[in-house]
Amino acid sequence: MSLDDTLAAWAATVRLPATTAADIYQRIVTTPAPARAVSPGLDPAWWRRFTAGFTTRMITSTQPAPWAA
Amino acid sequence: MDPEAEFGRLYEAHRTAVHAYFVGRTADRWVAADLMQEVFMRVWQRLPELSGRSPDGQRAWIFTVARNLSIDTFRHERTRAGAEAALGDEPAPAPPSAATAVIAAERVAIVGEAIKQLPEQQRTTLAMAAAGGLTSAEIATALGVPAGTVRYRLSLARRALAAALARYDDPAAPEPR
Repeated sequence: MSLDDTLAAWAATVRLPATTAADIYQRIVTTPAPARAVSPGLDPAWWRRFTAGFTTRMITSTQPAPWAA
Repeated sequence: MDPEAEFGRLYEAHRTAVHAYFVGRTADRWVAADLMQEVFMRVWQRLPELSGRSPDGQRAWIFTVARNLSIDTFRHERTRAGAEAALGDEPAPAPPSAATAVIAAERVAIVGEAIKQLPEQQRTTLAMAAAGGLTSAEIATALGVPAGTVRYRLSLARRALAAALARYDDPAAPEPR
Protein backbone atom coordinates (compact mmCIF):
# COMPACT_ATOMS: atom_id res chain seq x y z
CA MET A 1 0.00 0.00 0.00
CA SER A 2 1.71 3.18 -1.20
CA LEU A 3 1.72 6.50 0.61
CA ASP A 4 -0.84 7.85 -1.86
CA ASP A 5 -3.15 4.89 -1.25
CA THR A 6 -2.75 5.27 2.51
CA LEU A 7 -3.46 8.99 2.26
CA ALA A 8 -6.54 8.27 0.17
CA ALA A 9 -7.75 5.80 2.81
CA TRP A 10 -7.11 8.38 5.54
CA ALA A 11 -8.98 11.02 3.52
CA ALA A 12 -11.98 8.68 3.32
CA THR A 13 -12.07 8.51 7.13
CA VAL A 14 -12.17 12.28 7.60
CA ARG A 15 -14.40 13.28 4.69
CA LEU A 16 -17.95 14.31 5.52
CA PRO A 17 -20.62 11.70 4.71
CA ALA A 18 -22.86 12.76 1.82
CA THR A 19 -25.98 12.59 4.01
CA THR A 20 -24.46 15.04 6.51
CA ALA A 21 -23.47 17.37 3.69
CA ALA A 22 -27.02 17.20 2.34
CA ASP A 23 -28.46 17.93 5.81
CA ILE A 24 -26.24 20.98 6.15
CA TYR A 25 -27.29 22.18 2.70
CA GLN A 26 -30.98 21.82 3.60
CA ARG A 27 -30.46 23.62 6.91
CA ILE A 28 -28.88 26.57 5.11
CA VAL A 29 -31.33 26.96 2.25
CA THR A 30 -34.33 26.83 4.57
CA THR A 31 -33.17 30.12 6.13
CA PRO A 32 -34.52 33.24 4.39
CA ALA A 33 -33.22 33.68 0.86
CA PRO A 34 -30.61 36.38 0.33
CA ALA A 35 -31.96 39.69 -0.89
CA ARG A 36 -30.40 41.20 -3.98
CA ALA A 37 -28.36 44.14 -2.85
CA VAL A 38 -29.81 47.40 -4.05
CA SER A 39 -27.00 49.47 -5.49
CA PRO A 40 -26.79 52.86 -3.85
CA GLY A 41 -25.24 54.19 -7.04
CA LEU A 42 -26.63 54.85 -10.48
CA ASP A 43 -29.07 52.57 -12.24
CA PRO A 44 -26.85 50.18 -14.27
CA ALA A 45 -28.90 51.05 -17.38
CA TRP A 46 -27.81 54.67 -17.02
CA TRP A 47 -24.21 53.84 -17.94
CA ARG A 48 -25.35 51.92 -21.01
CA ARG A 49 -27.52 54.83 -22.18
CA PHE A 50 -24.78 57.33 -21.46
CA THR A 51 -22.13 55.33 -23.38
CA ALA A 52 -24.44 54.85 -26.36
CA GLY A 53 -25.27 58.57 -26.47
CA PHE A 54 -21.66 59.60 -26.01
CA THR A 55 -20.48 57.29 -28.79
CA THR A 56 -23.15 58.57 -31.15
CA ARG A 57 -22.18 62.19 -30.47
CA MET A 58 -18.49 61.35 -30.89
CA ILE A 59 -19.00 59.69 -34.27
CA THR A 60 -21.36 62.41 -35.46
CA SER A 61 -18.84 65.08 -34.50
CA THR A 62 -16.19 63.58 -36.78
CA GLN A 63 -18.41 63.81 -39.86
CA PRO A 64 -18.08 66.95 -42.00
CA ALA A 65 -20.82 69.48 -41.45
CA PRO A 66 -23.33 69.64 -44.35
CA TRP A 67 -22.56 73.31 -44.95
CA ALA A 68 -18.83 72.62 -45.25
CA ALA A 69 -19.18 69.76 -47.72
CA MET B 1 -29.74 32.46 -11.94
CA ASP B 2 -32.06 31.26 -9.20
CA PRO B 3 -30.29 31.92 -5.86
CA GLU B 4 -30.81 28.38 -4.58
CA ALA B 5 -29.43 26.86 -7.79
CA GLU B 6 -26.47 29.20 -7.68
CA PHE B 7 -25.84 28.42 -4.03
CA GLY B 8 -26.17 24.69 -4.75
CA ARG B 9 -23.51 24.96 -7.43
CA LEU B 10 -21.12 26.80 -5.08
CA TYR B 11 -21.83 24.37 -2.26
CA GLU B 12 -21.08 21.32 -4.39
CA ALA B 13 -17.99 22.92 -5.89
CA HIS B 14 -16.39 24.00 -2.62
CA ARG B 15 -17.85 22.10 0.33
CA THR B 16 -15.29 19.25 0.30
CA ALA B 17 -12.37 21.64 0.09
CA VAL B 18 -13.72 23.92 2.82
CA HIS B 19 -14.37 20.93 5.05
CA ALA B 20 -10.86 19.59 4.37
CA TYR B 21 -9.42 23.01 5.25
CA PHE B 22 -11.14 22.90 8.62
CA VAL B 23 -10.12 19.27 9.15
CA GLY B 24 -6.56 20.50 8.77
CA ARG B 25 -7.13 23.40 11.15
CA THR B 26 -9.07 21.58 13.84
CA ALA B 27 -8.16 17.88 13.43
CA ASP B 28 -11.83 17.04 14.00
CA ARG B 29 -14.18 16.35 11.13
CA TRP B 30 -17.34 17.19 13.08
CA VAL B 31 -16.02 20.51 14.35
CA ALA B 32 -14.93 21.04 10.74
CA ALA B 33 -18.49 20.31 9.61
CA ASP B 34 -19.88 22.95 11.99
CA LEU B 35 -17.41 25.51 10.70
CA MET B 36 -18.12 24.57 7.10
CA GLN B 37 -21.81 25.15 7.76
CA GLU B 38 -21.04 28.63 9.11
CA VAL B 39 -18.98 29.48 6.04
CA PHE B 40 -21.74 28.41 3.66
CA MET B 41 -24.36 30.21 5.75
CA ARG B 42 -22.38 33.39 5.05
CA VAL B 43 -22.11 32.44 1.38
CA TRP B 44 -25.90 32.05 1.27
CA GLN B 45 -26.51 35.35 3.03
CA ARG B 46 -24.09 37.25 0.81
CA LEU B 47 -24.67 35.38 -2.41
CA PRO B 48 -25.14 38.54 -4.54
CA GLU B 49 -21.57 39.55 -3.67
CA LEU B 50 -20.22 36.34 -5.18
CA SER B 51 -22.40 36.17 -8.26
CA GLY B 52 -20.31 38.26 -10.59
CA ARG B 53 -16.93 36.84 -9.59
CA SER B 54 -14.70 34.45 -11.51
CA PRO B 55 -14.35 30.87 -10.17
CA ASP B 56 -10.97 31.77 -8.65
CA GLY B 57 -12.48 34.92 -7.16
CA GLN B 58 -15.30 32.90 -5.64
CA ARG B 59 -12.83 30.39 -4.17
CA ALA B 60 -10.71 33.21 -2.73
CA TRP B 61 -13.82 34.87 -1.24
CA ILE B 62 -15.05 31.65 0.35
CA PHE B 63 -11.67 30.81 1.84
CA THR B 64 -11.22 34.34 3.13
CA VAL B 65 -14.45 33.81 5.06
CA ALA B 66 -13.15 30.40 6.21
CA ARG B 67 -9.83 31.82 7.37
CA ASN B 68 -11.49 34.70 9.21
CA LEU B 69 -13.93 32.31 10.80
CA SER B 70 -11.19 30.01 12.03
CA ILE B 71 -9.28 32.99 13.43
CA ASP B 72 -12.44 34.13 15.27
CA THR B 73 -13.07 30.63 16.46
CA PHE B 74 -9.58 30.08 17.76
CA ARG B 75 -9.80 33.45 19.44
CA HIS B 76 -12.87 32.28 21.31
CA GLU B 77 -11.23 28.94 22.10
CA ARG B 78 -14.05 26.90 20.68
CA THR B 79 -12.48 25.02 17.86
CA ARG B 80 -9.69 23.16 19.50
CA ALA B 81 -11.90 21.77 22.27
CA GLY B 82 -11.71 18.27 20.78
CA ALA B 83 -8.81 18.90 18.53
CA GLU B 84 -6.07 16.35 18.09
CA ALA B 85 -8.57 13.72 19.23
CA ALA B 86 -10.35 12.53 16.18
CA LEU B 87 -8.11 12.27 13.12
CA GLY B 88 -7.47 8.66 12.41
CA ASP B 89 -10.01 7.52 15.01
CA GLU B 90 -12.60 6.66 12.39
CA PRO B 91 -12.47 3.15 10.98
CA ALA B 92 -10.95 2.79 7.54
CA PRO B 93 -13.06 1.33 4.72
CA ALA B 94 -12.67 -2.44 4.75
CA PRO B 95 -10.06 -3.78 2.32
CA PRO B 96 -10.34 -7.28 0.79
CA SER B 97 -8.70 -9.80 3.15
CA ALA B 98 -8.34 -9.88 6.92
CA ALA B 99 -4.53 -9.70 6.93
CA THR B 100 -4.51 -6.94 4.33
CA ALA B 101 -7.22 -5.18 6.27
CA VAL B 102 -5.21 -5.18 9.47
CA ILE B 103 -2.08 -3.90 7.75
CA ALA B 104 -4.02 -1.26 5.81
CA ALA B 105 -5.87 -0.09 8.92
CA GLU B 106 -2.61 0.12 10.84
CA ARG B 107 -0.96 2.10 8.06
CA VAL B 108 -3.91 4.49 7.96
CA ALA B 109 -3.68 4.88 11.74
CA ILE B 110 0.07 5.55 11.47
CA VAL B 111 -0.54 8.17 8.80
CA GLY B 112 -3.41 9.71 10.80
CA GLU B 113 -1.15 9.96 13.84
CA ALA B 114 1.69 11.43 11.78
CA ILE B 115 -0.69 14.00 10.27
CA LYS B 116 -1.69 15.10 13.76
CA GLN B 117 1.98 15.73 14.54
CA LEU B 118 2.53 17.93 11.47
CA PRO B 119 2.82 21.70 11.87
CA GLU B 120 -0.62 23.23 11.28
CA GLN B 121 0.22 24.84 7.93
CA GLN B 122 1.49 21.55 6.54
CA ARG B 123 -1.48 19.66 7.99
CA THR B 124 -3.99 22.09 6.48
CA THR B 125 -2.28 22.05 3.10
CA LEU B 126 -2.08 18.27 3.09
CA ALA B 127 -5.73 17.90 4.14
CA MET B 128 -6.84 20.24 1.36
CA ALA B 129 -4.88 18.22 -1.18
CA ALA B 130 -5.65 14.71 0.09
CA ALA B 131 -9.19 15.09 1.44
CA GLY B 132 -10.25 18.20 -0.45
CA GLY B 133 -8.90 17.10 -3.82
CA LEU B 134 -7.45 20.54 -4.62
CA THR B 135 -4.43 21.15 -6.82
CA SER B 136 -1.48 23.18 -5.57
CA ALA B 137 -2.67 26.17 -7.60
CA GLU B 138 -6.18 25.93 -6.13
CA ILE B 139 -4.80 25.64 -2.59
CA ALA B 140 -2.59 28.66 -3.30
CA THR B 141 -5.63 30.71 -4.35
CA ALA B 142 -7.59 29.54 -1.34
CA LEU B 143 -4.88 30.24 1.22
CA GLY B 144 -3.49 33.34 -0.46
CA VAL B 145 0.07 31.97 -0.64
CA PRO B 146 2.33 31.25 -3.64
CA ALA B 147 1.89 27.86 -5.30
CA GLY B 148 5.56 27.14 -4.61
CA THR B 149 4.91 27.48 -0.89
CA VAL B 150 2.04 25.00 -1.18
CA ARG B 151 4.24 22.50 -3.02
CA TYR B 152 6.99 22.93 -0.42
CA ARG B 153 4.57 22.33 2.46
CA LEU B 154 3.17 19.27 0.71
CA SER B 155 6.63 17.93 0.10
CA LEU B 156 7.62 18.34 3.77
CA ALA B 157 4.38 16.76 4.92
CA ARG B 158 4.72 13.79 2.59
CA ARG B 159 8.31 13.29 3.66
CA ALA B 160 7.22 13.17 7.31
CA LEU B 161 4.45 10.67 6.52
CA ALA B 162 6.77 8.51 4.43
CA ALA B 163 9.26 8.46 7.32
CA ALA B 164 6.50 7.43 9.74
CA LEU B 165 5.45 4.59 7.43
CA ALA B 166 9.07 3.51 6.95
CA ARG B 167 9.47 3.24 10.73
CA TYR B 168 6.29 1.12 10.83
CA ASP B 169 7.54 -1.12 8.01
CA ASP B 170 11.00 -1.46 9.54
CA PRO B 171 11.06 -0.63 13.25
CA ALA B 172 14.84 -1.14 13.27
CA ALA B 173 15.28 1.71 10.79
CA PRO B 174 17.06 4.74 12.28
CA GLU B 175 15.04 7.83 13.18
CA PRO B 176 15.21 10.52 10.47
CA ARG B 177 17.48 13.44 11.34
